[in-house]
Amino acid sequence: MLDRLNETLDYHALNAMLNLYDADGNIRFEADRMAARQYFLQHVNQNTVFFHSLTEKLGYLVEEGYYEAEVLEQYQPAFLQKIWDAAFAKKFRFPTFLGAFKYYTSYTLKTRDGKRFLERYEDRVVMVALALARGDEGLAMSFMEEILSGRFQPATPTFLNAGKKSRGELISCFLLRIEDNMESIGRAINSSLQLSKRGGGVALMLTNIREAGAPIKGIENQSSGVIPVMKLLEDSFSYANQLGARQGAGAVYLNAHHPDILKFLDTKRENADEKIRIKTLSLGVVIPDVTFELAKRNEPMYLFSPHDVQKVYGVPFSEISVTEKYEEMVEDKRIRKTKINARAFFQTLAEIQFESGYPYIMFEDTVNEMNPVDGRITMSNLCSEILQVAEASEFNDDLSYSKLGTDISCNLGSMNIAKTMDGPDFGTSIETAIRALTAVSEMSAIDSVPSIRRGNDESRAIGLGQMNLHGYLAREHVHYGSDEGVEFTSVYFAAVAYHALRASCAMAREKGMTFKGFEKSKYADGSFFEKYVTRDWLPESETVTKLFDGITLPTRSDWEALKADVMEHGLYNRNLQAVPPTGSISYINNSTSSIHPIVSKIEIRKEGKIGRVYYPAAFMNNENLEYYRDAYEIGPEKLIDTYAAATEHVDQGLSLTLFFPAEATTRDINRAQIYAWKKGIKTIYYVRLRQTALEGTEVQGCVSCTL
Amino acid sequence: MKDTVTSPAVPRAINWNRLQDEKDLEVWNRLTVNFWLPEKVPLSNDVQSWATLTDAEKQLTIRVFTGLTLLDTIQNSVGAPAMMPDAQTPHEESVLTNIAFMEAVHARSYSSIFSTLCSTREVDEAFRWSDENPHLQAKARAVLETYAAGADPLKRKIASVFLESFLFYSGFYLPMYWSSRAKLTNTADLIRLIIRDEAVHGYYIGYKFQRALERESEERKAELKDYAFSLLFELYDIEARYTEELYDGIGLTEEVKAFLHYNANKALQNLGFEALFPPEAAEVNPAIMAALSPDSENHDFFSGSGSSYVIGKAVATEDEDWDF
Repeated sequence: MLDRLNETLDYHALNAMLNLYDADGNIRFEADRMAARQYFLQHVNQNTVFFHSLTEKLGYLVEEGYYEAEVLEQYQPAFLQKIWDAAFAKKFRFPTFLGAFKYYTSYTLKTRDGKRFLERYEDRVVMVALALARGDEGLAMSFMEEILSGRFQPATPTFLNAGKKSRGELISCFLLRIEDNMESIGRAINSSLQLSKRGGGVALMLTNIREAGAPIKGIENQSSGVIPVMKLLEDSFSYANQLGARQGAGAVYLNAHHPDILKFLDTKRENADEKIRIKTLSLGVVIPDVTFELAKRNEPMYLFSPHDVQKVYGVPFSEISVTEKYEEMVEDKRIRKTKINARAFFQTLAEIQFESGYPYIMFEDTVNEMNPVDGRITMSNLCSEILQVAEASEFNDDLSYSKLGTDISCNLGSMNIAKTMDGPDFGTSIETAIRALTAVSEMSAIDSVPSIRRGNDESRAIGLGQMNLHGYLAREHVHYGSDEGVEFTSVYFAAVAYHALRASCAMAREKGMTFKGFEKSKYADGSFFEKYVTRDWLPESETVTKLFDGITLPTRSDWEALKADVMEHGLYNRNLQAVPPTGSISYINNSTSSIHPIVSKIEIRKEGKIGRVYYPAAFMNNENLEYYRDAYEIGPEKLIDTYAAATEHVDQGLSLTLFFPAEATTRDINRAQIYAWKKGIKTIYYVRLRQTALEGTEVQGCVSCTL
Repeated sequence: MKDTVTSPAVPRAINWNRLQDEKDLEVWNRLTVNFWLPEKVPLSNDVQSWATLTDAEKQLTIRVFTGLTLLDTIQNSVGAPAMMPDAQTPHEESVLTNIAFMEAVHARSYSSIFSTLCSTREVDEAFRWSDENPHLQAKARAVLETYAAGADPLKRKIASVFLESFLFYSGFYLPMYWSSRAKLTNTADLIRLIIRDEAVHGYYIGYKFQRALERESEERKAELKDYAFSLLFELYDIEARYTEELYDGIGLTEEVKAFLHYNANKALQNLGFEALFPPEAAEVNPAIMAALSPDSENHDFFSGSGSSYVIGKAVATEDEDWDF
């Protein structure tokens, strides 16, 4: 059935044919290309506002309040004409239907009634480049080149908003601490509303909030613990969204040794009571090394009252290393504690992950050991790739700050590994991306949450990510997770780290300033560079050497020179790399997500705004399918090996999702977690499951159908 | 009524370690693993999308769901219990109780959709419509007649498979259609969970029918096959008119009918019979076809919960797992 390709079919139907084999058992890539074409013919072209010239277009868009006049006024009209001509001369085309559909549905500028398009892809790219370059023509040109060629893709908030007059913030992601008092909780809820409204994902740390049943003002059994706070947050996020463009989203992190930990996990149970059920808030658990040690010895694990810990140590619970103080706290009579079985805890964790995909996990001690910056990392974010230090704030009764601490924000963008490898100058591509991300940090000032503003001002933290690893490896006929695949990952990420540091050091020199706290970092004393100057990070196998043909890789002496430069001039950015999961932007950019293996040959993508759409893995055709084994086939070990190779060179984190068939058990999940922890992985993002169809109930002729 | 009071028969304690039919355990495991409740799906994320539907589209959607509610109610309160006395193994009875319960969950789910998206007046109006709609009532009656006490057990199974694998789909079409148009995607998730269940139900009852049929005489086999096809003709007739009444307004009738043909064939296949409609007549719009596959989709977790998570098998870790 459906063997002929019908031109008159609508583009959704054509796109859906990707998921149905043809009579010979081939995947119909041509149906998807036709879908993209029909989408332009039937929908985009007919609904795009036409202008006779660039001058007319820009004049109209500024006058009508669509574009920010200030962005364009920084440039001469002749240059504007030049950059626009250069962009359109590149003849950009979307290779997949989803790329085009996603761009026109979610990113492009539309008339206020949402019915007509005011921008093509090139327009958006140029506006982003102009906004970030802030009047520097050369920089604007290179931003445009890097983005339009697909080598660099800014994260959604930047790509969506830059240059538009009414817009949300350019930053993706925020992390807030909550301390053990009502003012801090109230302020956190307000901050969450403010940040959601402006378009970011917000993560909050609950570790310091006293547990249910803890005393308040010395009266026993008064506190309600963390669950009601989670409920408040969940409702806040549902209420606030960025002009309806992005749904508010939030995550909460709790230390595994917090007394409410099991209640916290139970909020995601299938049969949880409505009063405590958490539907849309994401959960993360912070696990120290000691929890693994206790489980290994099959001992109970003690949970400690944060309120008492704070009284005893004079600092919030999150500032204590549980691993370090564990025995001491167990012996201390002043700290009330409860105990649970450590292995049972891990099993519960896996059970909840089966039912809901949550919680994320942050391996607290690994994260802090690998942190080159002074201070303690106590939480991660909504996608578990941001790992930065923060400082507690204190409040007056009216919620004003009596002591302004720092909270975390991070703006992201990702390199397309395949395009970067193909590009003319590897180092320059990385440097340009670092400069673009730094521009976003410099242009941002979140005044509604002063602790975020202060954090950004002092750190200029950015997160350069990577995507299309699987697409690239498959195109080069290297299996994901194979020895060569892991070797490539290691060499690639080492080179990225080198150029990112080099760029940040160059900016420190140009601007004559470093991030605050540089002098106390492992960069300043040179210890960070130890592993780069004592061994090579260069390809060894023939296959990988060939992949880097024509790319200059940093040698030990390059690293030596960089070490000296950094120690002398410092770094402009406190944090440089973070590898996000890349959903939407990898579709636009025609990449496989992040450095994950593909989830299926034809990915079924569902989102609120676009419905259900089908997406073919980058560079896949009917001849190279063997290199596109999906994440469930590849299994957790190879995935973790690949991530471990990258983690080595990334100062923040990487979103790592684990994939299991539904027939797996909690034990399989636990084993993968133990393996990940052992390999030095910093965080685990979702656990995803796939159920195979019961024989006899499957949808016939379907490429990615499981039941 | 007999005069003597017979003492009630005491059933034998069910032993899942002694199976007469492996399929019972396989399906039991699948159904329990797939357990879900409507609260899992963040339906309220569809409120904005709901507001973009026209009044006619809203009315159609509510009506479709009330129609589905009725079918689930029948299957929960009459269909599955009626098949229980016919069960060949105690395990089959257990599976049927699970099916009955999940049908109740399905019927409950539509009310969750209603209470999230619609006003009470709209819902009451739609339930009144379903009470009065001649086609809907006719199909309910046709199925209920075969479920009646004393009816032929195999005919009951035939009707049940038609209900699970065929009659639901005129209704399922609409949420799948909306989701392929990026509307009501969370509602579609919930419906996909229902489809996931109904697919297994139809398959299992069909399987039991085929096993039972093997033991029948040739003559009786022919009779049952005749019966199946004539019932399908009758139901198809009603279903076609029901479809026209619902979908003519938005011009989808032809597409829905193709979908009906496809599912009628699927139902017959579950019973072990050959297809009735030629492939050309059963060409479903690929967007709907592909939307049926319940999961492996890659959703963004912040706007939906997806339908791939299941209750996992808990197995304790052993010392060797903690070897580091």
